[in-house]
This record gives sequence, C-alpha cells and structure tokens, in this order.
Amino acid sequence: MTTLPGRQRRFVLGLAVVAVPLVLALLGPLFVGDPGPRATSFTLGGDHWLGTDFVGRDVWQQVLLGGRTVVVTALAATALAYLVAVPVALISALTRLRWLEELLMRPLDVLLAVPSLLLILLVASVLSPGAAGLALLVALVNVPDAARIVRAAAGEAAARPAVEALRMQGETWWRIAVGYVGRSALRTLAADAGIRLTGVLYLVSTAAFLGVGVTPDAADWAVMVDRNRTGLLVQPWAVVVPALLIVALTMGTNLLFDAALEKKGRRP
Amino acid sequence: MSRDPVAEIRDLRVEIDGRAIVDGVDLRVLPGKVTALVGASGSGKTTTGLALLGEYPPGARVTGGIRRTGEGPVGYVPQHPAAVLNPARRVGALLHDIARPQVRHLPRAERREAARQLVLHALADAQLPDGEPLLRRHPHQLSGGQQQRVVLAQALLLGARVIVADEPTTGQDALTKSRIVEQLEQVAARGIAVVLLSHDLDVVRALADEVLVMRAGRVVESGPVERLWTAPRHEWTRRLLDEQRAAPRDGASVDAGQPVLEVRDLTAVHDRGTVVLRAPHLTLHRGECLAVVGRSGSGKTTLARCLAGLHRDHDGEILLDGTPLPRSLRHRDRSRLAAVQYVFQDARAAFDEHRPVLHQVARTAVRLRGTGEREATDEALATLHRLGLAADLAHRRPGELSGGELQRAALARALLARPRVLICDEVTSGLDTVTRRGILDVLAGLAGEGDGLSLVLITHDLDTARLADRIAVLDAGELVEQGPAQRILTEPQHPFTVSLMRTTERLETGTRR
Repeated sequence: MTTLPGRQRRFVLGLAVVAVPLVLALLGPLFVGDPGPRATSFTLGGDHWLGTDFVGRDVWQQVLLGGRTVVVTALAATALAYLVAVPVALISALTRLRWLEELLMRPLDVLLAVPSLLLILLVASVLSPGAAGLALLVALVNVPDAARIVRAAAGEAAARPAVEALRMQGETWWRIAVGYVGRSALRTLAADAGIRLTGVLYLVSTAAFLGVGVTPDAADWAVMVDRNRTGLLVQPWAVVVPALLIVALTMGTNLLFDAALEKKGRRP
Repeated sequence: MSRDPVAEIRDLRVEIDGRAIVDGVDLRVLPGKVTALVGASGSGKTTTGLALLGEYPPGARVTGGIRRTGEGPVGYVPQHPAAVLNPARRVGALLHDIARPQVRHLPRAERREAARQLVLHALADAQLPDGEPLLRRHPHQLSGGQQQRVVLAQALLLGARVIVADEPTTGQDALTKSRIVEQLEQVAARGIAVVLLSHDLDVVRALADEVLVMRAGRVVESGPVERLWTAPRHEWTRRLLDEQRAAPRDGASVDAGQPVLEVRDLTAVHDRGTVVLRAPHLTLHRGECLAVVGRSGSGKTTLARCLAGLHRDHDGEILLDGTPLPRSLRHRDRSRLAAVQYVFQDARAAFDEHRPVLHQVARTAVRLRGTGEREATDEALATLHRLGLAADLAHRRPGELSGGELQRAALARALLARPRVLICDEVTSGLDTVTRRGILDVLAGLAGEGDGLSLVLITHDLDTARLADRIAVLDAGELVEQGPAQRILTEPQHPFTVSLMRTTERLETGTRR
C-alpha cells in the first residue's frame, strides 16, 4: 500500500483544476484589452473568440473580468467565518463554565435557524451592500455551522487525558487550545473548509444572480450564467464557460483538501 | 484429540519500511483450545493476532499465509476497548445492532423481546450478569473492565468461531480476572478457539493449552503450557517466567511527623449527584508509599483524581502540609500544581501525539519550575535515562513508542515537577511481566527520593500493592480497610479484602476452577 504517488497525483490534479479559475480570476482583469464596440447579442465566432453575450459584449473579456468578485468574495467570506468560528469553538470546548459555553454557542443556534439566503436578502434590501458587505454577510451566516463543527471536533480532543496532562504541567491556555486541541481538530476543520468554500461560492453566486453585491449587468461569472441563460441554445459559451470555471474552482479546492488530508494512516 | 485447525498462520512475515515486525511465525488455532501468545510489549503479539482477522498495519508488506476454515467471523477484543465502542451510542444500542439481524426469522412481534434476550444472555456470558442498567449507559460511563466485557459480549453475539483476546485481563482486578479466566474457559469449552494475547502469566498459566513465546517478532519457543513452565528451553522464556516478587518495603524512610497529604470527610459525586466515593480519613506521610486497592469501578481512580484536582465535584478537605488544596487544579498555583502530580493509566492517550516525547517531558520543568528550555531538556534526558528510556527513543513521537516506554516517559514527565506526592493510576496494568517488573522497580526506587517523595499507587493488583508501606482497600466507593501493608496482606480483616486475597492466591498457583 504505497499511498504517496497516488496522493501526489491527486495534489497535482487538484492544483491543475483549481489553477485555471484562480489564475483567470486574479490575473484576468490585467489582460483585458479595449472593450471595443458592442456587437449583436448572442453571436458566435467572428471577431469574438467565445462569441458575444446578451448585450453584445465579448464573452472572453467578460470571463477575464468576472472572476475576481466571485473568487475573492468567497475566499474572504470563508476565511472570515473561520476567524470567528474557531476561537468561539475552542473557548467553548475548553471552558468548564457552563454559562460561558451557552453564551457563546446559543446565539449561533438562533442564527442557524434563519435560512441564510433569506437573511442575506433581508439585510441587502435594507443596506444594499457592495462586494465587501456581501463577504461579511456570507461569513456571518456561515459562522454557526463552522463553529458547531469545530466545537464538536475540539470537544472530543478536549476530553482526552492528554489535555488533563497538559493542565497538570501548568501549560498555558493558548498552548492547550491551539497547540493541542486546535491541532487535533485540524483534520475535521480542513475537511469542513473544503465543503464550506463550495457552499460559500454558491451562496455568493446565488446572491449575485439575485443582484446582491453586484449590478445586474456586471462582469461576474455568476451573473453571466444567469443573464445569458436566455440565449443558451443560440450561444452556449456565455453560460458554459463561466459555469465550468465555478465548478472547477469548487472541485479543485475539494481535491486539494482531500489530498492534503490523506495522510499515512495511523498505527492501529 | 487432533481436530483440524479453524485457522492457521504459516510463515507470516509483516514488514513496515523494511523492518520486520513479525517474522516467520507459525500458528495453529484449534477449536476448543486456548492458544496463548506471550511476550513483552512490541514483540509482535498484536500484529499476529490481528493477522488472524486479516488486518495489517497500514503500509505493511505481508508474506506468508493465513488460512481460515469454517465459517463465522473472527472476534477481536482489543486492549483498549473504548476505541471500538461508538462513544455516541448507548451500550444497549451497540449490542442490539448485532442481535437484530439474528432474530429476523421470527415474527415481527417477537423480535424485540428475542433480541433483548440474546443481548442479556451475551452480557451474562461476558460476566456482566446484572447488565440491564448498563444497557442505558454510554461507553464512557463504564469502567475499563466493563467496556472490555461489553466488547466480549459483542463478539459472542456475533457467534465468532475464533476469538482473539488482546490482553483481556489487563486493567482488571483479581476477582474479575478469575471470572474472565472462567469465562474464556467456558467459551473454549463450547468449541470456540481462543487466541489469548497476554503478558499476564498467571492468567496464561491458568487458561492456555498451547503457549507461544514471542520476542522481537519471532517465536522463540512454543509448547504445552505445563512443559513450558516446568522446563523452559529458551533463555528468554526463563527470564519472562522469572517472577521474582518485590519484597515488602521496610518503611525505614517513612517520617511519622505531619502528613504531607491528608484527606478529611471526602465525598465525591458524579454529575447527577450519585455518590461514588466516601473516604472519611486518609493520610500520606513523607516518603511513604500508599497503595489504594479495589476492583474496577470501586472509586479508586476517583479518589486519585480528587487528590490531583482533576475531579472537582467533591465535599470535604484535601490538605497539603496542613493547608487545604483548591479543588480544581485550575485554581492551584504553580508550586501546588507541582507538589501533587498524577500519572495516567493510559500513557498513550495522555501524550500529545504530534510532539516528540522529550519536548513534552521537558515542558513540566519549564512551566512548573521556571527552568530554561535547555536545562529542562537536559534534565528530561537525564530523568528519562534514569527510568530506562534511551535518548533516541525520547526524540520520537508517542506513536513510535511502546506502552511500557511511554509509561516511563509519563513518570519522567511528572517527576520533572519535583513533586511531593506522585499519584500513579494503574500505571503497570497495560504492561507485560518484564516491563511491569521494570516499572515497579523504578517506582520502588522513587519513594523517599529527593525531598521525601510520597507515592500513591492506585491498583487492582496485589502484586503491585506489595510495594507499598500501607494499603487502603476500597469497595463500591467505601473505604473498607486501611493499615500497614504487611498486616493487610497477611491478616486482612474485612470480608472483601479476604476474598480479594484468596482469589489472587488461587490465580497465582495456577489452579483451575
């Protein structure tokens, strides 16, 4: 059972799959030339490599421009969600003060009960946030889930004799929480992060479909999929290319996380 | 009677990263017979036993053959039973899952009752006759001994034809041990083959028909149990069987002045207010070694955890040098934390699996005594060396050390605090004779060292208790007897102590029944 070559292969595959949308999203805007005059809607070929979209813009240019908002918002939202969730989870896993745990975890349960899209639409209708505001909102609705999962993994680690032994040694809270409990929960956390990023991407895309955070005709992969649907049978590239890029991003990150987590099994 | 073996291993070789863990092992498992594999920890017993199940360590290269005839799965009762019991489900659910498919042929209305009967029957067979209340508990609410018996019940429920029992008597008190011996005997009498992986030679002698002595992955000697005991051929077998006993300590180093640790009117409760321990008065003097003896579930670990500040739900006082200790160790300052140190039963679980052992051991001195990183490491190395752990092992992670090695490291970790009181909770229970002897010798040398170190040995094993100056006996949460070791061992007063003594003697002489 030699796991290493297989693992490396998965790493390379994941990296390759995720690199395409990431590079396009981050560097794409640098390579966009002049927008040029608008052409007819939904045409194929001609001067336009991938044809034109619903208002006659060049699809390839739109693809180059439209990744940044989706990718950056999703990545920022995921990171932000964990930035809040992990400390909350670690504190509540390690405290023996019942009220503190209740205080930290119960409000999250309330948030959990509200459908995330509903919450986003509700807040968006009042505040009309930009891309940064959208990232904050998406992060907020993801905190309860993430905190509960990390809390469960950390709770198991916090109940081990090793934690008592560390306390017996007079170790600091930081060392116990981050150095041991956090590290033990890392596998679960990484697995969750892979799924969460996917969920966040779709939430951001859905919000964009519904016009939250971006303008209806913005260059944005998610908006492109939505707006160009009407011409799907005439000019499929305007829908297929951005959709494939979103799929590649989510699939690639999951492959990467899987490869990173697939360690050599522990001794029984 | 020469029946065909139900399972057979031929010339098994298991290799990890080019290092052979098991090499050239032959094993024939006969129905109705008990085959014992004995040897020090790390000698390849478990790997061989797991091979019968078709299980190998990850990354292993396996050559040689395993042949299983007859149907039915091979049951495995592991050393750490908690690891195979789903912690999220109650014992009843775990057993019913197995029982349910077996009653599927019955009419729907009768199934539930039939499954219940099967479960209760299996529990009774696994020496849990009053198992009903246990069914509603979660695995972590059972003692280690009870968990083991639940796993055994699972294997029996499955109708296994071969049962591999990995250290089944480890961590059990003498009474339970003799019952387990009887139980496994009954299992064998039903025609089930039992493969016993054990370093408990008393049990092996009482139970086994065939014995294979293993060392470093090879079988050095094998034969019928009687022949092996009366005429061991191999040098290693002789050493393994040489069970010289620790002589009772003379108590010369004990200081009769003010006690280091004093327990007054201690009543410990578990979460729902159930009283699990009552200890009206207990003292520990400077340089003294006190053994707390009792069966599993008698509250001895709770007593130890109260002293160490790990179990805070208790009334009464624990005095260190005449001043009360805070109940929780979170409220103990550095010096008081250092004064009372605790060594855990399961050394593997008590180490952080990600960091090298040496680093973890040294941290005690850094945190509790303010020593610099370098001096702490030097001191850790010296202490580990004194306890018999080589420097190259100390630099490894816990996963690469054996149970005995880790227990030495755990002792070193506690000693680096320069404690006044060292509490050892069943520290020898997971170890083979040679390793256990080594640890006991270390412990015997520790009492009275430095500034008069006092020891509290929590044990179910009277052989370990012989090491002590005084013995306290716990039964069902009550402190039933305490006194000088000599007196308790020779003229026990309380009926429970008497029965504990008698069973131990019977096991030691190897009498069956």
